[in-house]
Amino acid sequence: MAETIDPGWAWAKYEPSEQHPWDMKKAGHLFRRAAFGANLVELHQAVKDGPGATITRLLAGQPASPQYAELMQGAGRANIGHARATWIVRMLDRHPVHEKLTLFWHNHFATSFAKVNSAGFMVSQYELMHRHAFGPFGPMLQEMSKDPAMMIWLDTILSTKGQPNENYARELMELFSLGIGNYSETDIREAAKAFTGWEIRNGKWSLNKPQNDPGPKTFFGKKGNWQGEDIVRMCLEHAACPRFIARKMFRAYVSDSIEPTKELIEPLAKAYRESGLNSGKLLETILRSNLFFASLTYRSKIKSPVEFALGIVRGLEIAVDATAIATVLQTLGQDLFAPPSVKGWDGGPAWLNGQTLLFRQNLALALCSRSGQYVCSPGNGKNDNAIIREPFDLLAKHGCKSTKDRVDLLLQIFLQGDVPTEMRDRLIDYANTKPNLPVMWPRDELARHPLRALCHLVLTLPEFQLC
Amino acid sequence: MSSRRDFLKTSSLIGFGLTVPTFLGRTAFAAEPAGKAGAKDTILVVVQLTGGNDGLNTVIPFADPDYAKQRPTIQIPKDQIRKIDDSIGLHPALDGMAGLLQDRALCVVQGVGYPNPSQSHFRSMDIWHAASIKEQLTEGWIGNALKQKPFGAFHVAAGNESAPLALNGAPARVPSITSIEDFQLRMSATGGKDGKAQKNLIENAAKMPTSQPSLLDFVQKTALNTYASSQRLQEVAKNYQPKEAYPQTGLATRLKLAAQLIDAGLGARIFYVSIDGFDTHANQGGVAGAHANLLTEVSGAITAFFKDLAARGQRDRVLVMTFSEFGRRAHENGSKGTDHGSGAPMLLVGGKVKPGLVGKHPALTNLEMGNLKHAIDFRQVYASVLDQWLGISSAKVLGEGFKPVDVFRS
Repeated sequence: MAETIDPGWAWAKYEPSEQHPWDMKKAGHLFRRAAFGANLVELHQAVKDGPGATITRLLAGQPASPQYAELMQGAGRANIGHARATWIVRMLDRHPVHEKLTLFWHNHFATSFAKVNSAGFMVSQYELMHRHAFGPFGPMLQEMSKDPAMMIWLDTILSTKGQPNENYARELMELFSLGIGNYSETDIREAAKAFTGWEIRNGKWSLNKPQNDPGPKTFFGKKGNWQGEDIVRMCLEHAACPRFIARKMFRAYVSDSIEPTKELIEPLAKAYRESGLNSGKLLETILRSNLFFASLTYRSKIKSPVEFALGIVRGLEIAVDATAIATVLQTLGQDLFAPPSVKGWDGGPAWLNGQTLLFRQNLALALCSRSGQYVCSPGNGKNDNAIIREPFDLLAKHGCKSTKDRVDLLLQIFLQGDVPTEMRDRLIDYANTKPNLPVMWPRDELARHPLRALCHLVLTLPEFQLC
Repeated sequence: MSSRRDFLKTSSLIGFGLTVPTFLGRTAFAAEPAGKAGAKDTILVVVQLTGGNDGLNTVIPFADPDYAKQRPTIQIPKDQIRKIDDSIGLHPALDGMAGLLQDRALCVVQGVGYPNPSQSHFRSMDIWHAASIKEQLTEGWIGNALKQKPFGAFHVAAGNESAPLALNGAPARVPSITSIEDFQLRMSATGGKDGKAQKNLIENAAKMPTSQPSLLDFVQKTALNTYASSQRLQEVAKNYQPKEAYPQTGLATRLKLAAQLIDAGLGARIFYVSIDGFDTHANQGGVAGAHANLLTEVSGAITAFFKDLAARGQRDRVLVMTFSEFGRRAHENGSKGTDHGSGAPMLLVGGKVKPGLVGKHPALTNLEMGNLKHAIDFRQVYASVLDQWLGISSAKVLGEGFKPVDVFRS
């Protein structure tokens, strides 16, 4: 498959053509990948504006709500549960692309509260990644090496002169900058000496001179009195670094199934290196590219739990309890601030196994049912028709009258109508069949209930698992 | 590296032949009725110790003076060690397993590893899962074994755990399950007819033909397999009464669920569980502490599981096998922990294992970059399990050249 992709074509800018028109499907694809999905209005707007303007708008985002930054600083630092919930709120706020990229970096520098055990340090690390998300990779990696959460997570704080701990040195090279095969075990042992005496004082990085090894180390074949900053710099200068990051971003934003061959990655890596490892530009090149909008890229990823859950929330236009969402994400396999290992989440098909699939389908049902634990009813029970709490309200807002309209609208929002005709027919058949609902139910409920079931069925379609 | 593997994982999942899990529809590979002593259909339970278990403080060469030198602060005092013979013994946290040894149900395979060991957690774990040191690893050894004989299998998962590479490549996707209660599809139905219509629609969606092998195909097959397994499992009695008290730990809970699934007579013969936390770079402790706590959890869970099944007449059907991606450095580091190493022991528990030690403890005077050398390739242990326990040709799964180790009683 991959052999046939011309790298020149792949990374050139996508321009809509008769053969590859800009349409609802491509707009949905863009929102799923770059952000966390879209609602109907956003999709229509994107189709109208075209890919160029839409991507520009998405990358710029809108000014984030300042109260959420404060919430992260206050409640988030006090309690990891609040930090998780606040992050969910920010993902649903006005700059989802920024949060998605921060989540990419969280998966890259995969640090877990399970060991760090300080919500304050986890939030500081989140803010470090948030601050540098679109910027050059170098300063982010330098700061990350001195980040307290990271220093606890990979034992830098325990590494002392004569008795270096190799944990950070190894993962710096294997997982954060170069990838396996680009360094030796000796490089790891030598680099570890350079990080000795690094400790946390007053919540910040500090050098404990007596515990620091000032002597010569041979790293990548060069001898010098290297310190940790030198080691990080030499990793950043290594030819493997831009390739490694470009490949990782390819996996996150382009495809689980297209092989990121050397030929395909090289132009991306070259541009990345020439831009001074500017990650925002790398992302922009990917999002605007022919390959990103090509048919082999379309639906070639499995949604992560966050993408699955927030995609439903955005599409349904409901307000949710972010704490409950953050909690259910744990059972779906994506516990924010607690990735399973320093390698992060495996992603791709590993997201879906028997148990997590069932959890996903059951979560979809709960999100369709306003009585569930996830859906908030703003207005404290006030009967305000403008508030959407469940599929019935959404369909009413968009003026659906017939059964066919309703099925098509739900399919449009969640799958941009792209399902087999037979499946659509089955859904219409189902929606046309009167369920035997208890006669004592209030009339309102008799109208609302079948639409919950219908929306749930749309969300259980296999296509909806794909990103 | 990881990206390539993940890609290949995907492609290996594409295009497998069967659509319905074989064990659900057939009885050919089903177990003898539960409770029947000496049932011949053997069961394998793999227990993964994630993070690199410190083998040297698990199976300890206490008589070797170099042991104490290598471990100035985290050594286990001689008098606390559960002795296997005059020179080798178990960490005291493995008390339960020491009891199993008395009961002739524990086999300790020493010095297990592979050539040119990788000290990356992820690469080394992949090697153990795939039973291969090829650069690109796409399928697991159990997945490949299931191609030879499509036994039923379950991955009994902790909350935040994805399916292991070891199970990749199986003809029907091996389901992960965290609890029977959770393993069901909920519907908004109020009446039987509506519920049935919804269920039909959901199942039909998983059977819609796809134009080409793709991720969609993968999702559909996962879904189909899951819905079928789920239905079957709901018939399993929910109130399992173990015949042995299980500790209140994550691993024990997972093994208890495995025991329940075995007892239900579903015919599943392979179970996979994991316990994480063995990456003890710092403050790993000695007799007590982080590493001891982990060993306590492992020993308590496996011991309870084995005794529970033995009390149900399944003693001779079950084999539990532990492994970790590597052992740890012989000399402790400055943080009172240990860095990544290589050779380490594997523990086998079962009614039919050869009790005691197999192989020699790696010499502490002959280290390789400070690490213990292996003498037995882990694929030789896999070969014994495949050939002599599961009745699956190891040559077909692992390739030729892995001589089985003598770990079973004849």
